[in-house]
Formats: sequence, C-alpha cells, structure tokens
Amino acid sequence: MSLPPDYSNEISALSREVLKHQPHDVLQFCANFFLRRLESQRAEFLLSPQHSSPQGRGMAENSFPGNNPFGSPNNNTQTFASIDEEEENDLVASPTASSFPPNAMDPQSHAPAEDSFGNFAGFAASAKAQQSHPPSSSRDPQSFPNNYNLNRRTSVSAESLNPTSSSSDTFTPPYHQKTEEQQQRLRAAVAGNFLFSHLDDEQSAQVLGALQEKPIPTKGIKVISQGDVGDFFYVVEKGMFEVYVNKSGKLETGLDGLGAKVGAVGPGGSFGELALMYNAPRAATVMSAEQSTLWALDRVTFRRILMDSAFQRRRMYEGFLEEVPLLSSLKSYERSKIADALETKKYPAGTTIIQEGDVGESFYILESGEAEVYKRGNDKSLKRYKKGDYFGELALLNDAPRAASVVSTTEVKVAQLGKNGFQRLLGPVEGIMRRNDPSKETDGVDPLAKSN
Amino acid sequence: MASAAMHKLLHPHRSREENHPGQQNPASSHERQDSAGMERVREEEKHNLMQWEEQKHPLAPGQIQNQEQKHVGYSSEALRQEDFELIKTLGTGTFARVWLVRVKNVNNGDENKVFALKILRKTDVIRLKQVEHVRNERNVLASVAGHPFITTMVASFQDYDSLYMLLDYCPGGEVFSYLRRARRFNEPTSQFYAAEIVLILEFLHEQQGVAYRDLKPENILIDAEGHLKLVDFGFAKKVENRETYTLCGTPEYLAPEVIRNTGHGTAVDWWAFGILVYEFLVGQPPFWDQNPMKIYEQIVEGKVRFPSAMSEDARSLISGLCTVDTSKRLGNIQGGAGTVKAHPWFRQIDWEALYYRKVGGPIVPHLRGPADTRNFDEYEPEPANREKYTKEMSDKWDEHFRDF
Ligand SMILES: Nc1ncnc2c1ncn2[C@@H]1O[C@H](COP(=O)(O)OP(=O)(O)O)[C@@H](O)[C@H]1O
Repeated sequence: MSLPPDYSNEISALSREVLKHQPHDVLQFCANFFLRRLESQRAEFLLSPQHSSPQGRGMAENSFPGNNPFGSPNNNTQTFASIDEEEENDLVASPTASSFPPNAMDPQSHAPAEDSFGNFAGFAASAKAQQSHPPSSSRDPQSFPNNYNLNRRTSVSAESLNPTSSSSDTFTPPYHQKTEEQQQRLRAAVAGNFLFSHLDDEQSAQVLGALQEKPIPTKGIKVISQGDVGDFFYVVEKGMFEVYVNKSGKLETGLDGLGAKVGAVGPGGSFGELALMYNAPRAATVMSAEQSTLWALDRVTFRRILMDSAFQRRRMYEGFLEEVPLLSSLKSYERSKIADALETKKYPAGTTIIQEGDVGESFYILESGEAEVYKRGNDKSLKRYKKGDYFGELALLNDAPRAASVVSTTEVKVAQLGKNGFQRLLGPVEGIMRRNDPSKETDGVDPLAKSN
Repeated sequence: MASAAMHKLLHPHRSREENHPGQQNPASSHERQDSAGMERVREEEKHNLMQWEEQKHPLAPGQIQNQEQKHVGYSSEALRQEDFELIKTLGTGTFARVWLVRVKNVNNGDENKVFALKILRKTDVIRLKQVEHVRNERNVLASVAGHPFITTMVASFQDYDSLYMLLDYCPGGEVFSYLRRARRFNEPTSQFYAAEIVLILEFLHEQQGVAYRDLKPENILIDAEGHLKLVDFGFAKKVENRETYTLCGTPEYLAPEVIRNTGHGTAVDWWAFGILVYEFLVGQPPFWDQNPMKIYEQIVEGKVRFPSAMSEDARSLISGLCTVDTSKRLGNIQGGAGTVKAHPWFRQIDWEALYYRKVGGPIVPHLRGPADTRNFDEYEPEPANREKYTKEMSDKWDEHFRDF
C-alpha cells in the first residue's frame, strides 16, 4: 500500500520549510507548520469557487484569512468583522452582495466595462442639444457605485508614441483654417471636456487647428458604428445626429440592428472622445438625422500634440536648469525630476514677481518675455532678464529676504519651483552643492548608476 | 555542474552568435535543429529544465543583475513547442494564452515537473500593434528573472509563427480571484501582499529602471508557498530617467499623468499601488464609473474618498500614493520606495525576512500535487481558424522578433 499523495505533498513541503528555517525545536516547528496548514486550508476552502454562494462569501469574509502572519488569528477575525460592520453603514451605496450583477462571479464572462453599453453615458455627455438624457450621466461621480463590475479587467493601450528628439525633425500638426466664430464655437464645445481643459493656450490652438471639417451630405449616414474600433473624436458644427445603442454591444444588420435610440447630438455637441485615449470599441452608433457638418480629430494627432509640447517643454527646462550654477552638480535624472516638477505661471506686464525684503520661497526661470531687477531707492533697473535667465535661486538655499525685486516688462511665462518641492524631490540643496567638492561625493544618489 | 559549463549549455546560441554575427534568422533555424548537435543541446536543455526546480531560490537584488551567473531568462534556439505537453489553459490575455505544460519524454520522477508556457501568435502581436511591448516584456522578464516575487521566465523561444515564454507555474491562481471571493481583505492580509509588491516595485524602479505599468490584482499570482508572483510584463518598460508617453494600463489604475499625456515614468506604479491597496481594503477601486471617460475625469481630479472605518494609517498611505502631483507622490519623492517602506501602515513588516520569503503568507494553496489547477478558471479552447503568418509578414517582421 502506498502513502496518499496529499500526505507526500505535505511532508515534502514540511521538509522544504525545515531545510529553509533550520529550526532548533523541530517538534514545535512541525506542529506549528501543520497548524498553519490547517488554518490555511480552511480559509482556502471557504474561499473556494465551489463554496462561494452569498452565504459562503459572508463566512469567508469573517474568517479570512485563516492565518494572520502578524498576530493571533482570533484578534485578526475581530478586527475584520468590526471594520466590516461600520463600513457598511457608511458607504453611500455599499457594494452589497445582493447588488452584484448576476454574472459577476462568473469567470467565463470576460466582458470588459467598455463592451457594455454603459459607457454610452459620457459618450454624448457633452451634447448640448440632447432630447433625452443617457441614464447614468447625472450620477454624482464621487458616490460609490453600487454596480461595480467585478469581472477581470482588460488592459488598454494606445499606439506607441515616441517624441521626435532631434529639433531638425519636429512634428508639425495638421492645420485646417477656421473662421474666428468657428474657433470660438469649437472652444466652447470642448470647454467642458477634461481632456481639453488642461491644455495651455499653445496646445489648445494646435488642437483646434487640427480639427478637420467633415461634411455629412445626407441623413442616415453612420458616422460611428457601435462595436467598431474608434480613432476619431467629433464635434458637431451644424445639423443633428441620433445616438443608438444595441444591447448586444454591437451594431447588427437588419431592422433593429441599430438598437434603441438613446439621445441626439446637435450643434456644439460632441461624441466619441474615448477614441482620443486609446482604441476601444465604440459604445454606440451615431447616425446623421439630416445634412450636417462635423469637425473630426484623430487620436494620434491629439496625443502627438500633447506629447510634443510636453517633451519640448521638459527638454527646455532641463536645458535651463543646466545653466544654473547652484544646481550644476545635478545628475541628469535629477534634472528631469526637477523639470517634471516645475510649474508654469503666466504674468501680465508690470507684475512684481518677487518683492525685495520678502522671504523667498521659490525659484524662477524665465520661459518667455522680459523682466527687470530693481532695488529700493533706485529707480533705474539694475539688470534685465530674458528667456532662459533665472532668479530667486537663493531661496532654495536659505530663508534670507529677497535682495531685490523682479518686475515683468512684457507678458511673461515663468517656470517656478518652491523650496519645499525641491527638497521633497532631492533633499536639501546644501547637500547637492556639497557634491561639487569631489572629496565629499555623496553615495547612493543615483540608483541607476550602479546597474550593469 | 560547474557554472561556466552550465552557462555554455544554456546559452549555446550566444557563443554561436559571437562566431557568426548576423546568422540569426529564426526561419532558418529549422534546418539547424535537425543537426545532431542541436538535438544534443535540446536534450541537455530539457534536462536542465528538470534541475531548475531544485535550484530555485531567491537571488539577492544585486545577484539578479548578473545575467551571466543565473541560469534563467535565456533565449533558447533548441526548445520547441513539441517539447511540451499542453495540459490545460491557465489564462488568456488580450493576445496571449498561458498553458500548464509538462516537459515530454523525461526521466521517471520528473513527470510532475510542470511549467506555465505563455504562447503569443505573431499575427496577433502584429495586428494589435504590440511588437514593441512584447519585446519589452521578454527583455524585462529576462533581466528580472530570479526575483522572489516576480514570475521567473526560465527560457524564451520561438518558431515560425509563435513566440513562447516558459514561466515558473504559480499554482495558487490570481490574487484577483481570492479578493473577489473574499470581497475585501483585512488589514494584515492587505499589508502582507502590499509589502511584497513594495519590494517588487523597489527592485524594478531602483535596480532596473523599469516601470511596470499594469499593476492590478489580475496580474498578481500566488505561488505554491503562498507568496506573490507578478506576471504579465507586457507593458513593462525600461524608462531609466527619461519620461515615456505611450498610454497603457488598465482604466481604473491609470495615473493622471498617463491620461493627460504629459509624460510619465516609474511614478505611475506608485499611483497604481495606492489604487491596489484601496481595492484590497475596500473591494473595489476608488475611481469607478460605467463610463470610462468619467473614471478618467475622477482620476485627474484625484479626490479619493475613504470608507469611515478605514484606518488612519491606511488612508494616509493611500492619499500619499494617489497624489496627482508627482513631485509630492509617495514613492516618487526623495527616498523612493524607502519612504513607502517607512510608512506607519507597514510598521509590522520585517522587510529583510519578507524578501527572503521567511514570512508565511495568509493563503497557502492546498494542492493535490504540483500540477493541480483547481485555482484556475476554465477557458474556451483556442479558436481553430487562426490567421496565417504569411511569408510577407515574416519578411517584414521577423527582424523584430530576432532576439526573442
Ligand atoms: N506563471 C504562471 N503560472 C500560472 N498562471 C499564469 C502564469 N502566468 C500567467 N498565468 C495566467 O494567465 C493569465 C494571462 O497571462 P498574462 O501574462 O497576463 O497574459 P496577457 O499578457 O495576454 O495579459 C494570468 O492572468 C494568469 O491567470
């Protein structure tokens, strides 16, 4: 008769543990080992798929996990249960077991969130001329949703984007002429969209310039089809579009293939913005209701514009930082960290950016425009700053009052970094400066220098 | 076996490469495989695969760098799919299928030694524009092989139309499954798993300069001893100190700078780590809506709401990690992963013991044997009518898969 396989497995697991830990008290060690195994097996049983009826889950929760690596199991159970109770009362809409979608625990259904027609909501959320509201668009986004999708989530990715590194071959986004009114309408149309609201003036101008006019000659043209890949975002210039969602998740042939009409989009409205992030299946079909005109923007152009300006700006900042003697010993990865943290600010002409006598908190680099330096009791400017010049850097070093004032003479853009920000990222500037003295080279600053 | 000899065995093509540069066309490797020499190499590689099981032990972070001394993560010219018996599908991703496999024709006693084989069809990789990502995945996995909490890629190889990665099998299944069944983890369990993840991120960022970019419970497996193994390095990228721009990840876990396309780096993993800890403790991520655009809007706003019962320490950790401003984000600020490890929420963790797998995990899978797949779901079989990898495609693309 041979030993049961389960037994052999346990014994060899035990042997491995004994080898690893080399216990002094072997008997106690083995006893502990089996106790832990038993606890763990119970916890696991309670969590096993066969046992995951709603009641089963409840039990699993209270007794999970069987083995607390940090404290006594009893203790552990109590903590868990008490947290659980209070929590249920607090959640605005608690994800209680009963509100899980019926297929939530079904491992076979791999439907990602995007596939359900749920994502219709924002799809036309910015439509200004809707006849009916999509069901969930009015929900407070901060409330806990009670229908969280419990399935496995699919990863998403866009085409790989690599910035043009050489300045000789910079990217020029497509440009399509528009009248002043058209531009204004477009600006208003995208104003409420968070993808556009973070853009600076330059990016915004490039993006608006890149929108391309797309005439829709007649009624009944499907601009986008539910389930298809999506590459474009659209703004309605004139005309009217109807939005349909087929419960199956995609446009089908036949009479009812469109599915139910869930809304309409008119001038100033927009649709398909998820396509500006990555290529996800369209959540609805959008069809013209009359002869219309659209503005179209594709993802690659949009992301390219954003990337290129971010890339240029970072390189510009790094270049500026290289010129600051106080920071000359920064390693390149440190410079890029600082460049990442620099904040751009715009001031009109005549603004006092730093005031003589104030306690200095920030350091500035002049990104564009001009500024002048004044000292009290002297009307003549002592110095002129232009693009690439920096000032206020001593604030990084100490709390001494500003020695002079800096006033903008034109509209200026400055990149700003506070002392706190600097220290958070790289520690005190004194330490950085001390590096200039090779005899005091600090170690362990550049984690990447040691690799290979 | 002496390590030099072992190395030679495991890297036969490396030395050949040195002798005949440019002779690395996978299409022609069929001919070479017929030669007696290749047969011998193949048998020896299979033999070594059997030994690996006994030899595996966590390497110290410094040892992992040393590509020459470790016997895993190599690109094999000898292995083929026929060397493995496909037992069961363990999981499917967007374009990959992972199988439980057994090495064929081995000595008695070795039948039970199993691996996970991740198979990618070249046509799918090309169609889904993932060529660059797949190359990154293989290279990163090769360079990190040996870390205690990252799935070990023992070897990689390819044939005419497919790419293969032979991985250490993690019989415990996904943390995702345990989490959904338990609905949420209690604090000690969350702390234990989170702490192992911190060690992974510390290693990837600070030793390897790699951003992982797809942290979520679905990509974290439990191994036979109850420790975590991170899988799916499809989006991992060696970023070193330069920012990168390609959007990738999982909607609920995307960092604000990824959504805004202002350039991102390893800091995205600390953001995602905050989301992960939240999901462990609450049972769902902090930012969610049926409509993905609404999720992104919430993310860039970055206001995390906590259930009132969540401990002060947990809140403080999650708020620190899920900070929109990367210059304030925990893990990205001075001190790096060290600041996360020093956070009071991890007060009880002995980091050294944890790294060397001396701390027992809360769930140790109870298995009938090494090839037990009870912790994995059932998957549809692979569709039979696969798109062909044509001669034109091979002419155009095989160059890109050359080092696989
Ligand atoms: N080493 C492994 N051991 C056991 N299961 C694995 C292993 N690697 C992957 N899997 C399973 O296969 C699934 C898909 O693998 P993954 O690498 O994530 O593929 P993809 O890159 O296509 O997303 C995982 O979620 C997991 O369930």
